Amino acid sequence: LSEKPDSYEVAVERLEEIIDRLDSGQAGLRETLDLCREGRELVNYCAAELDAVGEGLKELNLDELAAKLEVSSES
Amino acid sequence: VEQGEIELGEVIPQAGSGLPGPFPVGRYARRLQEEMRKRARVQLIGEVTGVGRSKVQAYFELRDSQGAVPCAIWLNDLEKAGLPEGALRDGAELVIAGGPDYYPGGGQASPSFSFRATHVRLAGEGDLLARLEALRKQLRAEGLFELQKQLARPLLPKSIGVVTAETGAARRDLLAGLRRRGWGGTVVWAFAPVQDRHAAAAIAAAIQGLAARPEVEAIVVTRGGGSLADLWAFCDETLCRTVAMLRVPVVSAIGHERDSTLIDDVAAVACSTPTHAAEAAVPLDCGAARRDLQHCASALRRAGEGAIGTRARHLAALARGPARALQRERGGLNQKIREIRAASERGLAERGGFQRRIATVVLERARRRGIERIVAAVAVESRRGAGIERSAARSLQRRRETLRRAAVTLRAHDPERTLERGYALAETEAGKPVTSADGAVAAATVKLRFADGRVKAKIEGDVEREAR
Repeated sequence: LSEKPDSYEVAVERLEEIIDRLDSGQAGLRETLDLCREGRELVNYCAAELDAVGEGLKELNLDELAAKLEVSSES
Repeated sequence: VEQGEIELGEVIPQAGSGLPGPFPVGRYARRLQEEMRKRARVQLIGEVTGVGRSKVQAYFELRDSQGAVPCAIWLNDLEKAGLPEGALRDGAELVIAGGPDYYPGGGQASPSFSFRATHVRLAGEGDLLARLEALRKQLRAEGLFELQKQLARPLLPKSIGVVTAETGAARRDLLAGLRRRGWGGTVVWAFAPVQDRHAAAAIAAAIQGLAARPEVEAIVVTRGGGSLADLWAFCDETLCRTVAMLRVPVVSAIGHERDSTLIDDVAAVACSTPTHAAEAAVPLDCGAARRDLQHCASALRRAGEGAIGTRARHLAALARGPARALQRERGGLNQKIREIRAASERGLAERGGFQRRIATVVLERARRRGIERIVAAVAVESRRGAGIERSAARSLQRRRETLRRAAVTLRAHDPERTLERGYALAETEAGKPVTSADGAVAAATVKLRFADGRVKAKIEGDVEREAR
């Protein structure tokens, strides 16, 4: 139906549009069902994005990353 | 000023002290001005007192405990210096650059000596602030403050870079802020000195290193509070230009709320504390976002179910619609019928009255015409009756006469009359007339009727025929 959103904020913005449109009560049956389907996909996308930053904070050090990069490029 | 250095031209010989001269004072004053302006240009530092302004220049005394010099600066030079608003005030520590000058005055104007300042800046902290202000003005004029602010900041970055001191409260506060957001992404640390004279270059290198990492979506630069001198690295022109040109948004949180460094101006967002920087780097409160998302999902489910339910009810209502419409129509029709009936009763009553009046008139006319016709008929009939009576009388008379004659005739022909005249009538025992001789013979016995009565007679013998 719809393409994967570019970012969380784009998804949320569209989701808000959808909810506003549904709340307005002006959408016909076909449009309502389409919007609900699109909305569910966006909710799933956003949930996945939140899950990606939901598993606990990870810390890396730029110097160590750079060293690893050098090692991998040498090998 | 050595008197001998001044060439004053022709000497007017006068009796007196034996010194050269006397010279015209105006010419001496101009020479004095020229000599003053030849003096070496220097910088002076001191405290400002007695600030005043004319239309074209500002003047003040610069003094310290040892002495003072009257100073003047053209207003356009003062403006170029870019001092903060109100910086030229009594008590301010200033560094001025320029040289001595002498104003020779004129016919009316008083002569005066002053140190003609062409540059001026605040000394000490004030000096740093002034340099900062000048740099700020320059970078703003170049549009470098806007570049970072035009970058899109991700609402939910998965990875952020942080430049800070390896030890210090800033690092701890930032992590606490991120955890409070409910954010569990990746932090890439780039530790750098944040205070010494090499700090600016190290910070710039760290920022560039982070910006080169494709997964880093935002960069936080932070350190705790300090004096302006402590924070000076973050006012470095090269560092600030580097930040301004980055394509990754930079969140700065340098010092405390009252501190304002140049990196704050060029960064996408300037925060007062590392905690705020965490919120700016991850604008989304992940905990709240999860709750919001659940609400959205519920709203969508309700909308989907509601859309069908509402329409189903609507359809049901539509299905009931015709019956209701019929009922409504029926009610309307009944009302109309009642109205029509009421109206027609009224109409009939009116029409009946009218017709009764018409009928009365018509009947009256007909009655009159009838009476007239009867009267006329009676007249005719009575006339006709009189005629009839007359003709009837005549007819009766005629009939009486006829009858009388018929009676006479009848009497003449009456057998009784004949019997009276001597004739007898033969009849059978049964009373039938015997009209022939054969009949009489056949009957054998007959009765003979006379005028005065009957007698039985026996027939004897045969018929004696009469000759004709």
